[in-house]
Amino acid sequence: MNDMRPTPSFVGWRALVVHQPHPNVDALLTQFERIGVAASHYWPEITDLPELDRFNVVLIDADMGYDDQFPWKPGGAPIPVIALIGSEAPGRVSWAMRQGADAQMLKPIGSAGLYSALVAASHGFERRQAMTSEIAALRARLESRELLAEATAILMVRDNISAKAAFQKLRLTAMAERMTLETMAARLVETISDMREAL
Amino acid sequence: MGSSIPIGLLFSRSGLYWALGQQGFYGALAAIETVNASGEYPFELVPHDADPEGNTDRYAGLCRDMIKRTGLRHVVGCTTSWSRKEVIPVVEKADALLWYPCVYEGFEASENVVYIAASPNQHLLPLLDYVVPRFGRNAFLTGSNYIWGWEMNRIAREVLHHSGGRVLGERNVPIGDVEIHHIVAEIKAKKPDFILNNLIGPSSHAFLKAYHELGLADPAFAAGVRPVLSCNLYEGEAALLGPSIAGHYTVSCYFQSLSGEANRAFLQQVAGKQGTHPVTAFFVEAYASVMLIANAIRQAGTDDIAEVLAAAKTHPFSTPFGESIVDARTNHVLMPAHIGRARADGDFDVVFEAGGAIEPDPFLTRSRLGIPGAEAMSPAKAPHLRVVQ
Repeated sequence: MNDMRPTPSFVGWRALVVHQPHPNVDALLTQFERIGVAASHYWPEITDLPELDRFNVVLIDADMGYDDQFPWKPGGAPIPVIALIGSEAPGRVSWAMRQGADAQMLKPIGSAGLYSALVAASHGFERRQAMTSEIAALRARLESRELLAEATAILMVRDNISAKAAFQKLRLTAMAERMTLETMAARLVETISDMREAL
Repeated sequence: MGSSIPIGLLFSRSGLYWALGQQGFYGALAAIETVNASGEYPFELVPHDADPEGNTDRYAGLCRDMIKRTGLRHVVGCTTSWSRKEVIPVVEKADALLWYPCVYEGFEASENVVYIAASPNQHLLPLLDYVVPRFGRNAFLTGSNYIWGWEMNRIAREVLHHSGGRVLGERNVPIGDVEIHHIVAEIKAKKPDFILNNLIGPSSHAFLKAYHELGLADPAFAAGVRPVLSCNLYEGEAALLGPSIAGHYTVSCYFQSLSGEANRAFLQQVAGKQGTHPVTAFFVEAYASVMLIANAIRQAGTDDIAEVLAAAKTHPFSTPFGESIVDARTNHVLMPAHIGRARADGDFDVVFEAGGAIEPDPFLTRSRLGIPGAEAMSPAKAPHLRVVQ
């Protein structure tokens, strides 16, 4: 079987349940214990909670939650988010989505559902993080398009070579200098403009 | 089927919203007396009541105890949505039915709840249908920080958007907050065509009084010019507010002042009973819940919930808000939406009496969210469309 996935394990994780004291919270804490996750609960605002960065996952209350509860902007949680949904009123569901909930659990919380929510949330969060950094890298490359064109043109004129040869030269120099193509191009453009200014 | 059938009554007759809970409690009790005195039912209903005192955390435990202790299958009760959400897991687990008799914000349909309760297509939408063509489509939205206010304002925003109207402002305050002068000041500055009031309890009262003061000082904010709309403000609260509520609008499945022989006969029947000064929608919905339970048990020949529910979904029944039936898909009842305009004495003039009941649509999947003709309405002309009743 080549699509084998490792068994997800959350042992050693720390979870934060942001919900007022309630039997639903008790049920969650029991489930966390079975899974091997140390969980604590807190309400309402966690903006001043010490050691917040030690938590691996946060569970938020879609019924009573509000934006100012968290020290991050809506959608900007640095860890996976699981929304606890009681009322399915669209306003509350979309609030949970705006918070960037990677998974959800419906109240009332019973004896199951947390494990699959943790798996879904950690996968979703990883995918979201990977996409965010890939998009950032692609955006950076897109922005350096003009720079590459300029550097290629400089080499074409200076060395009287074709566009293909100029680009090849830029690439080889970058490899030799152990830097990215974009950095090499930036350096070349900078050198030339410095020379122009000196003249 | 035994000759006596236990019925649970779970209303907060003390605590923050005791007045609403008490109306529900007495409405249910009045119906139990009616059933037992009529001689038309082959059983006697026996009430078992518990008072959660407005404390959401007490509902589930009290309901569970009640069911365990008496073996009852039918509970009438709950006012707030949070308390209903607490009771649902209990009735689902215990194979019982909750008969919920209170207007709410929709987006729920539990198989173990019968909603003798209007959801937004049976209150907010018809109210906006009535008011927008008469006063205009630019609104100011207010609410208490609670699911009712959040969701009602969201739906109103959507309706106005589809009608070419604008939301000039929205302010939500914590439950119980009476510091609401900033809302009135903002309304004065923004001059909306109407204000949607989803504040509850003391906040709502403080707002209506402050807005009344503004109207006295500046006639541009009189109720007849820029009215306040509410979906859950009935006779009892209106009487407390006196002249400050006069001229503002409410929508309800029932008003004490409804015309017609049926309402006159009903009022005569319950006259002298507790909780009837005045008779409100909360009273009537709880009354109808018990009548529905009794009729369905008689029809089914058992108080087994599956059979009672099946009977309630197939046999129309008569209520103080008219002929109705439980919708088979959603477990909500068909209800009319009458529009009332408050008088200074706390009663309502029914300015629009609905001819028939509206089918429930708790998830708003079949309802039209725009007001017909509102798109074509020019803002400058809107006030001239007002109809004087």
